[in-house]
Amino acid sequence: MLWRIYVVLAGIVLFAILIFGRAVKISIYEGEKWKALKEKSYVQYRAVEAERGSIFAQDGSLLAVSLPYYAIHLDLSDKVVSDENFNNTLDSLSYCLATYVDNSYTVGGWREKLIEARKKKNRYLLIKNKVPYNELEEIKKFPLFKLGQYKGGFIAEMKSERKRPYRLLAHRTIGYVREGIKPIGLEGAFDEELKGAEGKRLMQRVAGNTWIPVNDLTEIKAQSGNDIKTTIDVNIQDITEEALLKAVRKHDAEYGTAIVMEVKTGAIKAIANLGRHKEGWWETYNFAVGNQVEPGSTFKLASMMALMEDNKVDLEDTINLELGKTMFYEDEMRDASYHGLNETTARKAFEISSNVGISKLVVRGYDEDGGSRKFINRLKSMSLHLPTGIEIDGELPPFIKEAYSKEDKWSGTTLPWMSIGYELTMSPLQVLSFYNAVANNGKMMKPHLVSEIQRFDKTLEKFKPTIVNNRIASPKTIQKAKELLEGVVLNGTAKKLATKQYNFAGKTGTAQVDYKRMKKSKIKYQASFAGYFPAEKPIYSCIVLINGPKQHGFYGGEVAGPVFREIADKCYASQIEMQVPVNAKLRPILATRQLPTYDAGKKDEMKYILSYLKLPYGDNANKNWAVTAAAADTIALKTRKIEKDIIPSVRGMGLRDALYILESRKLQVETKGIGKVVSQSIKPGTKARGQRIVLTLD
Amino acid sequence: MSFGTRIYSELRGDRVIWTVVILLAVISILSVYSSTGTIAYKNGVGTEYYLMKHLFLVIGGLLTTYFCYLLHYMQYSRTAPFMILFAIPLLVFTIAFGAELNEARRWITLPIINITFQTSDFAKIALITYVARAISSKQDYIEDLQSAFLPIIVPILIICGLIAPADLSSAILLFITCLLLMFIGRVSIKYIGLLLFCGVAMFSILVVLGDLFFDDIIRVDTWRTRLSDFFNNTDGVYQIQQAKIAIADGGIFGLGPGNSIQRNHLPHAYSDFIYATICEEYGLFGGLIVLSLYVLLFFRCVKIVVKSEKSFGALLALGMGMMIVIQALANIAVSVHLVPVTGLTLPLMSMGGTSLLFMSVAAGMILSVSRYIEKI
Repeated sequence: MLWRIYVVLAGIVLFAILIFGRAVKISIYEGEKWKALKEKSYVQYRAVEAERGSIFAQDGSLLAVSLPYYAIHLDLSDKVVSDENFNNTLDSLSYCLATYVDNSYTVGGWREKLIEARKKKNRYLLIKNKVPYNELEEIKKFPLFKLGQYKGGFIAEMKSERKRPYRLLAHRTIGYVREGIKPIGLEGAFDEELKGAEGKRLMQRVAGNTWIPVNDLTEIKAQSGNDIKTTIDVNIQDITEEALLKAVRKHDAEYGTAIVMEVKTGAIKAIANLGRHKEGWWETYNFAVGNQVEPGSTFKLASMMALMEDNKVDLEDTINLELGKTMFYEDEMRDASYHGLNETTARKAFEISSNVGISKLVVRGYDEDGGSRKFINRLKSMSLHLPTGIEIDGELPPFIKEAYSKEDKWSGTTLPWMSIGYELTMSPLQVLSFYNAVANNGKMMKPHLVSEIQRFDKTLEKFKPTIVNNRIASPKTIQKAKELLEGVVLNGTAKKLATKQYNFAGKTGTAQVDYKRMKKSKIKYQASFAGYFPAEKPIYSCIVLINGPKQHGFYGGEVAGPVFREIADKCYASQIEMQVPVNAKLRPILATRQLPTYDAGKKDEMKYILSYLKLPYGDNANKNWAVTAAAADTIALKTRKIEKDIIPSVRGMGLRDALYILESRKLQVETKGIGKVVSQSIKPGTKARGQRIVLTLD
Repeated sequence: MSFGTRIYSELRGDRVIWTVVILLAVISILSVYSSTGTIAYKNGVGTEYYLMKHLFLVIGGLLTTYFCYLLHYMQYSRTAPFMILFAIPLLVFTIAFGAELNEARRWITLPIINITFQTSDFAKIALITYVARAISSKQDYIEDLQSAFLPIIVPILIICGLIAPADLSSAILLFITCLLLMFIGRVSIKYIGLLLFCGVAMFSILVVLGDLFFDDIIRVDTWRTRLSDFFNNTDGVYQIQQAKIAIADGGIFGLGPGNSIQRNHLPHAYSDFIYATICEEYGLFGGLIVLSLYVLLFFRCVKIVVKSEKSFGALLALGMGMMIVIQALANIAVSVHLVPVTGLTLPLMSMGGTSLLFMSVAAGMILSVSRYIEKI
């Protein structure tokens, strides 16, 4: 019986030999053919672009969004579209294409085009580029196309375009990501979140650099990116940008930047950067974050605070301003404008931004051994040497020289010049962060632009405000610093900017670019203003910096200050929480002519109104009806006599009361005008007999 | 005693089969590791993930083999009817509620441990064991239709019929294996012809049913496409062309371990087309070795049968050996474009838990037989 098993064994061995023979044939005899095919039909996994997440403003307005569009191609290879399908749909498809997609061809034109492409076995005939999604959904339903890619040859590839609905608004801060260029702004910083996960798809090269998807089950869908919600307030951003634009134009400046920050949280509400561009002003660079400059006079606040914190000075101490000119070794220091002052207080020196005054105070205060080191350490204790750590790229740490360091070129004149904001560099944002800390009672917050990461409207991650330094200085110093800044606006270099509407506090800065090196004739200025508003209960801090103003002034107070004022004005007008409620103010002193005189009506009602308005009054009325009588600053209620069957005086009454009284005495009332009764046609005291009475109202 | 000699003394039975099983395991680890690049990339994990997973499975498989080898093969004979009774409802359940992978319902998800499980792999083992038992126990009246023939063919038709809708190629191979087993077990050609006829008839009914009613369960369309692809497309469809490129690229001695390029273009390079990857990396030479290992395995099974012709053990070993070698040849034949595309794995080689596990069981059964038969 063993023959049966040998038959099976023989069969299996034979089959194995057959298989191996086949493998040899493929490998050796057909080898060249297959290797050539490998070169030709190149297939690879290619990335499928994911839909990029959006960037929202604080209120949910879109700052940047990717709008998808589709490129539609037709694969007319006979491996895909059968003759039957092609011929059956040719006419109706041509009609649809000519009618709905591209009418630059007639129905016959499309028909010819399709037949031609079919003859050439075109696998990638362009039907239309840039088709929006809703249109794609319609086109998908066309004859032939509705059979899909593998029978109908329909190829729709998604691409997308990044749109910024607000164009220029915060352009540089929103940023961009482009191939081959360093990513910029939030788009760059949050690229990982925004970009999503690319899909992968097996694709075959059909010609040149054209790839079409291969029918394969191993496709991975692309995953759209997350959205990020910024702290930017579109309204404030708009106000800021507009105010800044006006100023850089007016002063024909090199560039300008302005930032508005929420005091309590460090949230950046607006950040504008305007530089010169061939087509006018544009957000060419993020000066606010990336531009390290000598801050100039705005730094004097830090010097004064250091002095106060180290108990080196009291605001009422005197200092000799030497008429605005003094020498440190061989270097002469001058004040920016003439003031004619000699002995004055430290407070005054700060308010008028005297270089001589502040630098002398610092040099005098820190004249002990190692005094400079103490000064630098004090600056560091106020976190002035730290970068803000804002989310977007491009920030450098402030440059503050180490005391006596050779490497940093510390010299005998470094301390005085540093005290007035030279020989050190900071970005506008870093300066603002410091001012914000003063406004926030000494608590330094990390400036930030992003509040949330969202996905499909749901919050994935929330970023809480971060405290950088809980107390940059003692409450006493902070209080005095605030006084100084308010003084600048009330009595100092920003006096012209003051408004009665609200109080604000701040410091002007008029820096000379390269102060020590430049010749007098080539001096370039940099005007700045840093501060916060309202002064009593700061809500926003703001810095404005305008570099290289060429006309209509160069002082911080006249170039940057007005921008600050305009931003503050508009914020103040548009933000309800900043308005001081009417009843929170002192009550106005009553003026006789504004007081209600000769208003008549029901006594109870009048008492109610007067007490609601908190107007003091004396009650001398003892009947139901009363009339007001104002004298000096008081109001008295007197009895209005209303007798039965007698026509009373209704003067001073509203029409409702007058009608009630007169008609209940059977009179026929006619009225003229609107308002209160000013005259009546029948004299009071006349007996009522159903007469006609005319009332004039005004 | 060194570790090697210790293992050697532990592994009794046919040591040639042991060697084949271990060699296949080693080659399996090498080729799966180098061909999982695409799937690892696609799922965003490192290739080490699949290496570790596969390594774990291969070791688990070897342990399974060892465990099955320790059991006396007569134990299998006793459990065979129960296994059949268990396999039938399991297959019905798979058809009705199974998970769909690649559009075929071949899998069920095991509760609690949450692992997918290909039920047909279990059913194959069950059926072959059962058929071996039936033939050996009815040897004396094997020519009798009523008492001997029907109890054998009814389970074959039921099991194959239940596997066929989702996995026709497995069903056909199992059917052929059973036919050959009966042929070797002295069942007369007449009856085998009758069974063949029944099988063809049942298949026709399936096709008609699939066309008319159950087109989502019975994959008639896929069968047609694959057949027409095979006969109309002389160069083969996309996967086949890629497999051929792989074989051609490998030449005689291959590109070397880990140097496969086509693994990126071959769908399922780690299972259905693993042979093409082997040929690419180790050349025709490597391909020949792998092919020979399977044939050698079968030779050794034949040797057992020669020793003890009619016994259950011999038939069991032969059945399992045939199951392994036939599936191996079928899988390899797909890669060289000798048969239409199937979804068959390369036994003891491809990545895939269930297949590896039950093929290890089969190997263990063969070894168990070889161990006890030697003692006779």
